Amino acid sequence: MTEAAAAEELLTVLDRIVDRAEPGEGLEAFGIDETDTSVKAYDGDVESLSSARTRGVGIRLVSDERVGYAYTADLSEEALAEALEEARANARFATPDEANVLPGGSELGALEGLYDPAFEAVGVERKVELAVALEQATRSAAPEIKGVDSAQYGDGVRTAAIASTTGVRGAYRRADAWLAVEALAQAGGVTTAAYGLDIAKLPDLLDVEAAAREAATRAVRLLGGRKPASAKVPVVLDPFATASLLEVLGAALTADSVQRGRSMFAGRVGDAIAAGDVTLVDDGRRVDGLAAAPWDGEGVATGRTVLVEDGVLRRFMHNAYTAAKDRVASTGNASRAGFKSPPGVSPTNLFLEPGDEPADAILRRAGTGFYCQQIMGVHSGANPISGDFSVGAAGLMIRDGELAEPVREASIASTIPDLLTGIAAVGSDLRFLPVGGATGGTTLLLDAMTLSGA
Amino acid sequence: MVPLVGSRAVEPLALDDDDVRAVLVEALRSGGDFAEIYAETRRGRSLRLDDRKVEDLSSGLDRGAGVRVLRGQQSAYAYTNVLTRASLLDAAKVAAAGVSGSASVRVADLTTVQPPFTHPAARDPLAADRGVLVDIVRAAEEAARAVDGAVRQATITYADVRQEVFLANSEGHRSTEERVRTRLVAHVVAARDGVIQTGFEGPGGCVGHELFDDHPPEQVGRRAGQQAVTMLAAAFAPSGEFTVVLAPGGGGVLFHEACGHGMEADIVAKGASVYQGRQGERIGTPIFTGVDDATVPGGWGSYGFDDEGVAAQRTVLFEDGVCTDYLSDRLRAAGLGIHDSGNGRRQSYANLPIPRMSNSYVLPGQDDPAEILRSVPRGIYCKGLGGGQVDPASGDFVFGMTEAYLIENGAVTQPIRGANLVGDGPTAISRIDALGTDFETRQGICGKDGQGVPVAFGTPTLRITKITVGGTA
Repeated sequence: MTEAAAAEELLTVLDRIVDRAEPGEGLEAFGIDETDTSVKAYDGDVESLSSARTRGVGIRLVSDERVGYAYTADLSEEALAEALEEARANARFATPDEANVLPGGSELGALEGLYDPAFEAVGVERKVELAVALEQATRSAAPEIKGVDSAQYGDGVRTAAIASTTGVRGAYRRADAWLAVEALAQAGGVTTAAYGLDIAKLPDLLDVEAAAREAATRAVRLLGGRKPASAKVPVVLDPFATASLLEVLGAALTADSVQRGRSMFAGRVGDAIAAGDVTLVDDGRRVDGLAAAPWDGEGVATGRTVLVEDGVLRRFMHNAYTAAKDRVASTGNASRAGFKSPPGVSPTNLFLEPGDEPADAILRRAGTGFYCQQIMGVHSGANPISGDFSVGAAGLMIRDGELAEPVREASIASTIPDLLTGIAAVGSDLRFLPVGGATGGTTLLLDAMTLSGA
Repeated sequence: MVPLVGSRAVEPLALDDDDVRAVLVEALRSGGDFAEIYAETRRGRSLRLDDRKVEDLSSGLDRGAGVRVLRGQQSAYAYTNVLTRASLLDAAKVAAAGVSGSASVRVADLTTVQPPFTHPAARDPLAADRGVLVDIVRAAEEAARAVDGAVRQATITYADVRQEVFLANSEGHRSTEERVRTRLVAHVVAARDGVIQTGFEGPGGCVGHELFDDHPPEQVGRRAGQQAVTMLAAAFAPSGEFTVVLAPGGGGVLFHEACGHGMEADIVAKGASVYQGRQGERIGTPIFTGVDDATVPGGWGSYGFDDEGVAAQRTVLFEDGVCTDYLSDRLRAAGLGIHDSGNGRRQSYANLPIPRMSNSYVLPGQDDPAEILRSVPRGIYCKGLGGGQVDPASGDFVFGMTEAYLIENGAVTQPIRGANLVGDGPTAISRIDALGTDFETRQGICGKDGQGVPVAFGTPTLRITKITVGGTA
């Protein structure tokens, strides 16, 4: 289906719902229509191939300051009518809140570079080729690679559309392709594993060799790891580990977390919370990030939001509800987990403004320390409410500014405030990773943290 | 069969035998050796009470069907949420094109099979009025706030779902199974003197509102509140190696992550498991027996058939410390030449089945729980672990302790915060030297390969002689 036709078909369905609003009701219909393909390769052949089309509509209804939500994957007239009734019934039991408003008024613009029509000319044979090539390239990347846990080509072509009684109406399409591989390295009866990734706007722009090399290098260098001696040392996070950390920070910097009392950053706007040259940005219009879109999950234009500027907390991320509560403008951070959930608040493409130094210069700057290439247990170990930070880690020691012996079963600990004020350098190697949506990874140098082992 | 959702009939998956046969025949056209249709309808409701406000009341219908074709160890899958004969035939064509073989398998005559276990909901949650759901979350919230003035926030989430699964395959299996699940989750935040702590309680089951007979909403809220308030007095945890006693239920997630995942046949088949090739080897201590049991009546991870139509089973993973059976699905059982343990599960019609745990339990032992603690001169008593993470290849794991205390001279004393348990599965089970006669379960959603499925964990009081605690002090 052409871009315009898919969008029109979905918008027609949404218009029919919005037309049924009763006087005094605010009604918003959000729809998605997406096609996903996944190919996994194993032993030089296709292990699994999956192809799917998913459609669904979610309805948000506001009446007397009460909100109800309902969804359906069945787009028949009868099912849509039932979903609308469900939304109405749900609203009747909700607590009224004057911040329950549907955004509206402004024209929904476009964002170039999200979708390349050439995408749909790529046949499944080419996708299979890429998955098989990824598996083969990973296996042959290093003699220590004894296996591949999963080698996957994936893509998604998604049309999102929205219409409301407040005048929101629009649709956009985006397409992405990715490679993901987990390499298994073996030596002395011990197996280590690590990921390699690449993301592109067209299948042919994916770099098979780079993803394979990344997985292999990261797995092999962990071989022979031992528990480190417990010590306080500088820590360098690799881009994957940094992305995991930003995911936790991002959640704590949404106005939703702040208003619900679930963020240690509540009441801290205007305060220095990080080292003086640290700038943290959320940018929903960076098309190299997987979360780019012209408008957010409720039809507000996305934008660039500077959350932390030169170490000072400037603002939080908002959707229309949290913005109305704080009497500010939405930052275009309404998020949708799909058609089945009402809009929440989430970061889009969240990243630290990159610095000037590449990763090797940052290692030299650290001198002696711990290079963390994998954070484990970040969701329980990094607590954005209490600020406690204690996570499992795997990586390598840094000696004389270079990577030295590998480390496993280690733990690094600090507190989130100490960690942020201890950021000593942000690498120049920014790259968006599919961690917690689309978080930017960079090499990151942190002042002393507690490294524990045996 | 409960025919009502509120006052509305559940629509049958409108596939007659002729449709099913036609789709299966189409799916096998390019030489696959097995074909299957998995169709699903899910109706669910959820709501949240936060900061005394009822919000996010949501309800809906999700439905779809997938056609899977297997050829040897290859799978091809196509799904759609347009449930018409034509649309399923299209899906069958796409799936068929994903394999190429020479098998000329015929579609056997379809025979309806009843699930060997049922987990019927005694009190249909979807028949409850919305006002009842609001009362449930309010009761939990009030109990949480009543614990102590330090409780600042209580968020209570209620969710129910009725899932109807239709399965038919080229071997002639045809079945329908209904699964009803209900869960109530309380998150509580307490604050005092600049310290903020959280508490959590989240019981659920493959049950209806009888869930609240065993877990009254007040108790759910109160327990989460007590945990948050207790942890306000916590000191930073020490680092180093300690004897750790895990409270009943509290150690379940550790066993699930550090032992269970490595016993899943897909991970084993790829050489990514630390337990691979070790069947018959004694890895744990002789008192350690671990099982996965999908037949537990009303268990959060229970089912009648797995998502491939194989009967739910109880599988012994470790018997008296010896590594025994793996958890498999159809494909991996065939690939490894082992028995299909009925653990092929999927998040929804949008996913291929993969080997998953259901309810994974460490069985109780012979020791008096109080005596297990009394015999520890210095150690850690852990009542709750947060979401952990494990690398199945090495068995290395990390778990945050959400509620933990020091043990001094056999007594539980100072609460401690901000600490992890760090170790590896085989070593941890080789150091279990005491198992209590008590037993409790916990519930969660386990994520693997992008698919979340409900799982339960259960353990008695359990002592590990030595494990690394990554603390902050």
